[in-house]
Amino acid sequence: MPITIRAPNLPTPHDALARAASPSDSEMSDDDLPSGTSGTSIVTPGETITSDPQWMRGHGTYIPPSTTTIVSTVAGHLHKTNKLLSVQALRARYTPEIGDLVVGRIVSVGTKKWSVDIAAPMLASLPLSAINLPGGILRRRTAVDELNIRTFFSEGDLLVAEVQSLHQDNTASLHTRSLKYGKLRNGMFTSLSGAGGGVLSRRGGVVRSKRQTFTLNTAAGEIDVVLGVNGYIFISAHATSPSNAAATAEDKDISITRLDEAVSETLYSSQNDEITPGVLREITRVSTLIKGLAAAGRRVDEDVIVRVYEGAVELEAEEKSLGITDKGVGAVGVVQAVLERLELGG
Amino acid sequence: MPLDTSTYSLALLRLDGRRWNELRRIHAQIGTQQAADGSSYLEMGNTKVLCTVTGPAEGRQSGQRGGKDNEAKVEVEIGFAGFSGLERRKRKSDKRTSEMQHTLSTAYSSLLLTHLYPHSTITITLHILSQDGSLLAACINASTLALIDAGIPMTDYLVSCTAASSATSSDSDNSDPLLDLNNLEEQELPFLTVGTLGRSDKVSVLICESRVRMERIESMLAVGIDGCKRMREILDGVVKESGKKFS
Repeated sequence: MPITIRAPNLPTPHDALARAASPSDSEMSDDDLPSGTSGTSIVTPGETITSDPQWMRGHGTYIPPSTTTIVSTVAGHLHKTNKLLSVQALRARYTPEIGDLVVGRIVSVGTKKWSVDIAAPMLASLPLSAINLPGGILRRRTAVDELNIRTFFSEGDLLVAEVQSLHQDNTASLHTRSLKYGKLRNGMFTSLSGAGGGVLSRRGGVVRSKRQTFTLNTAAGEIDVVLGVNGYIFISAHATSPSNAAATAEDKDISITRLDEAVSETLYSSQNDEITPGVLREITRVSTLIKGLAAAGRRVDEDVIVRVYEGAVELEAEEKSLGITDKGVGAVGVVQAVLERLELGG
Repeated sequence: MPLDTSTYSLALLRLDGRRWNELRRIHAQIGTQQAADGSSYLEMGNTKVLCTVTGPAEGRQSGQRGGKDNEAKVEVEIGFAGFSGLERRKRKSDKRTSEMQHTLSTAYSSLLLTHLYPHSTITITLHILSQDGSLLAACINASTLALIDAGIPMTDYLVSCTAASSATSSDSDNSDPLLDLNNLEEQELPFLTVGTLGRSDKVSVLICESRVRMERIESMLAVGIDGCKRMREILDGVVKESGKKFS
């Protein structure tokens, strides 16, 4: 007998559930749910979502003792995944998950590990054994490395890393064992407070996506953007990536051992390169636009940033040619003006 | 200086022209500071409070890890602006302030789902910008808004307001309980601060620092709880309004 999976039956509509239907899982839920009215409505703490016992409670919900009522505990949008009800808060701290790309800052240096601020409830730890040690990518760490721990990362350094594992109390362990990860320099740090932590269905802020590091082409030159899932963002002048460096090294006929050294020399450097004023200007422009996007409650991802950046440059050129000097709208104002233009233009 | 509240019985209007069951003008904003995890600004009449929430985050002392076994610790700091009261005074550690801090911290420890954030610390910082009665109530309402802004899960709204008994000892029959006191009324009348959970009648905070006849407590509580329900609707409206930009 063939097995068919049927869509769940619609329960008798209750308070919030009847009003709010999630757009993200619409193919999963029943089509006859009234979804059109829900666009802007949110649930708030203490609000009854449903008292039907067939639903399961997910994040952001709570069942008071000795009842079957599901009650929201945060202010946010209601999401349904099959029979699971969860509420995604409008703003919240980032909760780490394995595989997340995060930007962090070293808070303290221990004997064999670093403590890293990744905007999560607890500091993350980065063990010495989870970084690429210079002088050969794969080698065991030695006692000398432990003594020289500050030469790799010291307090205040910024880094990009991946969440390797989670402990019992939700503290994260990071690793930088890839040439994509490591120390950050030549750029500017931007924090989107409360807008990290991207469940895919989230409406504003940074979300988990395929590409969280990308290169933006500007008039002044290329700039790199690293979108940490935790809402920390790093925007820097485009560096020839280590793989590129390797390619150029091969051209110059440098032996494979020398190559490693060439890579490792720049890997943990804290010295910024010379950056032209034009690039600096574009870096700050991107940073301001990202802040504006977050403040306007928009999603922050590669596609949106590229579009808004190009729109903003166009807008500025237009204003200059028309001689408009009436400024003072702020980051949110610029972002909204650009988005309006984009929507008008299609 | 004893204040003359005897005029109340003549027109049934209070000193600021309100009736017995009227709240003062309430203005609230959410997400006022970008850098904070959660923030709010609340005005109840002329009482003005600014609240920021930090956390859940690693506690300040790295040795001491958060709250007791696998729960977050709730810390409360209250700061009075020098210009907030009638006279300017420097107070470093006031017993009343520390009692307010303790009240808030215990109330929120049981309200928030602290078990979701083991070993971390949630810090509520309140700045009193202007004092005109119902201070503890304003602090509670502002903290609730800021905690919602910070996205910290809680079982329900914790809302609060004050209630007093207007009766003089002679004519106890002819007495109205008063809602939401200002500073002058607070100095003159016996009053209590009551905090309830959302729409329910569950009282979570109840503080009475003045002497009051036993029979009057009931009517004061009833008016206070009713005021809390109205307060909840106002705060809920503020939260829903702030959610609109994420459409």
